[in-house]
Formats: sequence, structure tokens, C-alpha cells
Amino acid sequence: MTTAPEVNSLIPTYTDAPATDVVHVRGGSLNAVGVSAWFGSNKVLEKVSLEMPANTVTALIGPSGCGKSTFLRILNRMHELVPSAKLSGQVLLDGDDIYDPGHRITETRKRIGMVFQKPNPFPAMSIADNVTAGLKLTGTKIGKSDREALIERSLTRAGLWKEVKDRLKEPGSALSGGQQQRLCIARSLAVEPEVLLMDEPCSALDPTSTRRVEETIHEIKDQVTVVIVTHNMQQAARVSQQCAFFLAQLGTPGDIVEAGPTTEIFGNPRDPRTEDYVNGRFG
Amino acid sequence: MTALLDPPSAPSAPEPTPQIDDVPRSIDPGLPPSDRIFFGVSRVIGFSVFIIMAAIGLFLGFQSIPTFKRYGFSFLTESAWQPDKDVVGISAVLVGTFTVALVAMSIAFPLALATSLYISEYAPAKFKSFLVSMVDLMAAVPSIVWGLWGFFLIQPKAIHLAHWLHTHLGWVPFFHVDTDPEASPWAQTRYAASAFIAGIAVSMMVLPMAAAVMRQVFSQAPVGEREAALGLGATRWGMIRSVVLPFGRGGIIGGTMLSLGRALGETIAVVLIVSPAFDIKFRPLEIGTSTISQLIAGRFGEATSSQLAALLTAGFVLFIITLIINTLAAMIVARSRSGAQE
Repeated sequence: MTTAPEVNSLIPTYTDAPATDVVHVRGGSLNAVGVSAWFGSNKVLEKVSLEMPANTVTALIGPSGCGKSTFLRILNRMHELVPSAKLSGQVLLDGDDIYDPGHRITETRKRIGMVFQKPNPFPAMSIADNVTAGLKLTGTKIGKSDREALIERSLTRAGLWKEVKDRLKEPGSALSGGQQQRLCIARSLAVEPEVLLMDEPCSALDPTSTRRVEETIHEIKDQVTVVIVTHNMQQAARVSQQCAFFLAQLGTPGDIVEAGPTTEIFGNPRDPRTEDYVNGRFG
Repeated sequence: MTALLDPPSAPSAPEPTPQIDDVPRSIDPGLPPSDRIFFGVSRVIGFSVFIIMAAIGLFLGFQSIPTFKRYGFSFLTESAWQPDKDVVGISAVLVGTFTVALVAMSIAFPLALATSLYISEYAPAKFKSFLVSMVDLMAAVPSIVWGLWGFFLIQPKAIHLAHWLHTHLGWVPFFHVDTDPEASPWAQTRYAASAFIAGIAVSMMVLPMAAAVMRQVFSQAPVGEREAALGLGATRWGMIRSVVLPFGRGGIIGGTMLSLGRALGETIAVVLIVSPAFDIKFRPLEIGTSTISQLIAGRFGEATSSQLAALLTAGFVLFIITLIINTLAAMIVARSRSGAQE
């Protein structure tokens, strides 16, 4: 375990952070070790290892079909929802393997939240109920005033509070696409995850909504570790501190070509393929 | 724009702009002959279904006119069916029809719901298609076989269940039987040939239809919402409760009502199992009841022409009831989220 000292040095100290409201001020560190993945007999990831330090934003970039979404879904055990899906390797959350049989899947998914490509609020629930859906689903009891505070805090963190504070009882499906996606972010944040995975969260959004989501990522990374898959190179450069470039050669499983600080990946890539990709020469 | 290239020449007259009428124009390209033939044939077949249904309704309706003229409203309120005494009415038969259907649905509904949830949500992929075909096979079993099954295999067991229900829940009118449950030996025959036992057989016949409709809508529950619930840390059951069941509500109600429509008309199993009785009672555990279809099947052969008209009138009432229930079911399925999509 070489990660521990580095991780600790990356944890920012928040003397000026508001002491109230915030339940935990630090995200978890994720570490994937030798992760391979299959769909049936088709291998899609080959021994991928990546450290995702606490309280940083890690962007996963690469052309379509290189396995980055699969990798992301392995990080909170969504991969196994596909019946034929298999995997090997370890995913360590603060040093504990989330695939250890002793860990409950539901607890892992609660600690590692996910925002999906297509906004997916629960259409039959109101905006407020959508925010607290995670508590209800995990059987977490909460008092009425705590609930209202949590709704406001989560929506504020997702940058949606001002727009919806007067219409919390309206159905979540009445919002625009960009607002729905921020509602989904608020819903994920409401269960106080240590890590938030985002699978191309802006690919279905207009530029203004995209900017709002990126601002949200900036604001929440102090409390949550973020891993984001994106096809948008500028977005990766804007929001992330660390970047991993995935590539799958024709007929071979996907792998990380290069990973490191975002400034390095974009400014001074070691691998020529990375350079070609970040400069838009292929993919 | 050639004007820039051409040397300036003699000023030419401005080109006349073509006159465009500001009215909606026809943009229909027309259909190729093959499509026209196909549309024509399918339209005729589609309409013929409607025409056949309407013809059945009209035929029964016309046949019912003399009966309604003769007996008037009492046809619906009279309980006895004694054509030789010129007393016919379907109130007892209607009650019996709904009692059998109610018993059938209260058994079929939970079974269908659990079956369809298991198949769509829990069953391993390999096992799934096998289970689907088994449930479909249940629908393929002829109703006479279900009737025999109910009579020979279920009845000897069910009378003990009925006796137990009477003994322990007899204070509820619905579970009452007109005999002393504590008597020894207890009167087994009082619990046989009842609406309860017929209902069990009918429930097996309507279960596949309800299960098929429910399974269809459950499998359409959006993947995005399922993953959203699971991603928040929900258990599978939590996900089903918050996503699959609300999404499938229309299918649950619609599928249940479609099977109710079938349960109301089920004939042969009822004929085999129950012994006819014409008193208005809500005691399904007790021997004897009658349903409309059983009445028609039982009296059809020996009927005189006026009796036949009365039986057709009873058939007309059943036709109208099932028509209303099925139409309501179709409306509920179509208006729900699951039915409206795709």
C-alpha cells in the first residue's frame, strides 16, 4: 500500500469551511488494482490499475468503446447488474476491497454514488422526494426539520436550490434536462457519499447546464472524491486535477495508456497516442 | 449569382417571381400499389373483428328484447329460474358469477403478481424463458382439464381448508357455512361443490393472462430508474417497490381486470364442480351456486324457444358486463405510463 501517505497529504484542511451542516468533510480514496472485465467471453478491460486520491477530480477520457464506462461502473458494483458481466482484481475504498464478500453491495453503493449519462429522476416523485429518495431506499430515518435542511443543503450543493425552492412539490420530471441532471446530483449527494462517480453527466445537456454542472463539481470536490467519464476534452481539462487516458486497440481489451496530473496529460503527454487524442487527431 | 461575373450589359427586365399561393399544399406522395393492397387487406380484417363483435352484441340484444318486455326489471332482481312457472331472473346467478370470479381473482392476483415479479426481476436469465413458457403452458391447458383437476384433486383437499376457514373465521359472513362446524363427524358434503372450489379451478385458468400482462410491463420499467435506485444503495426489493411497481401499476390493474373478464365467463370448470343453486348468498365455502355461463350451458339443451330467449338474455347481460370490464382494463393499461410508452 503505497497510497496512504500520498492520500493524506492530499486531504485539504478546511479551516474556513462551514462547520455546520456538512457531515463529513472528506471524500474517500479509491484505488483500482489490476481490474479486468468481461462481458460473456469478450474481455473489455485488461488489468487496469488507477489511484483516485481523496478530494480530487479524476477524469477518465478516451474514445468510445475503450472500457472507461465499464471501469467506472466497476467502481460501485454496477457492472455486475449485466447478467454476463465478470471481473477480476480489486477496488479499494479507503484500503478496503469493495468486492470482499463481507461487504454489503448496498452499503458500498451508498458510499460510492453515481450520476448517469441520461438524467434519471424518479418521475412519480416530487423534487423534494427525489432528493431524499436515497434515504428512503436505504431505510435511513430522518426528522422533518432535518429532512428540510438536507433537501436545501443537497440542492444548494448541486446548484439547483434557487431555481426550485418554490416548487419542491412539483414532479421531478417537470424540470428541464439540465435541472434534472442537477437534481440527480443532489439526490446522490443527499446520502453523503464519499465518492461520486459521473458517467458523461453532461453529454445530454446544453452548454449552460454543462457549465452549471462543472461549477457544481468544483464546489463539491472538497467533500467528495469525484471520478468523471467525459468525451469532452475541454471539460476534462477544466474540471479535473488528474486524468487517465483509456484506449482499446482493435480487437484487444481496453487499458490505461497514460495517467497523471491533468496538466501533464494535456500539456506534456509522455505517450504519442495521448498527445494525438488530447489534440483531437483521432477518436 | 452570375451578375458579378458578367460584364454589365443592357439593363434586363427583373425576373418575375413565380406566384406562390399562401395555402397549405398537398405533400402526400401517395402509396405504392403493394402498400395499398396491404393496407386494404389489413383494414378489412381489422374492421371485421369490430363488425363481428358488434354483430354478437346486436344479435344478443335483439334476442333479449322479448324477455325484457315480458319480465321487465324483475329479470335482474328475481333470483329463481323456473321457466315452467314463468319465473326467471338472474340476480342469484349474477351473485354466483361474481362470487366465483372474486374467489378466483383473490387467489390468482397474488400468485400472478409474485410469479411475474420473480420472472422479470429475480429469476436467473437461463431459467427465465423456461418459466415464461411454463406459465404460457398453463394457459394452453384446456378448461375441462382444469375442471377435472379441481373436481378430483383439489376438492377432497379444499373441503378441509373450507372447514378450517369456517371453524376459525366463521364469524365473518363471507366464511360462514350453514352447518355446525364443531359437529362430529362434520358435514363434509356441505363444503363440497362450492363457489370456493370452482374459484380455485378458475384462478388457475386466468393466472397466466394476468401474469403475462404484469411481466410485460415490469420488464419495460426503465433501466435508468432501476440503476438510479440501485446506485443509491437500494436493495433489489427496494428498487422494485420504488421503480418497478409504480411503473407497472397500470399493467397490474389492467391485467387483473382482463383476467376478471375471463373469470366471469368461465364455464366448463364451474359446470363440473358446483351443484346448481339459485339463492342469493355470499357464502362461497358452502355447497351450491350458479353462474350465468353455467346456467346457459346447463339449460341450453332442454330449452323451449321462450326459455332459450331468456338464456340468451342472461348471455347478453354477461356480454355487457365483460365488455365494460375489458374496456376499462384496456383504458387503464393505455393511460398508464407503461402502456403509453413505445
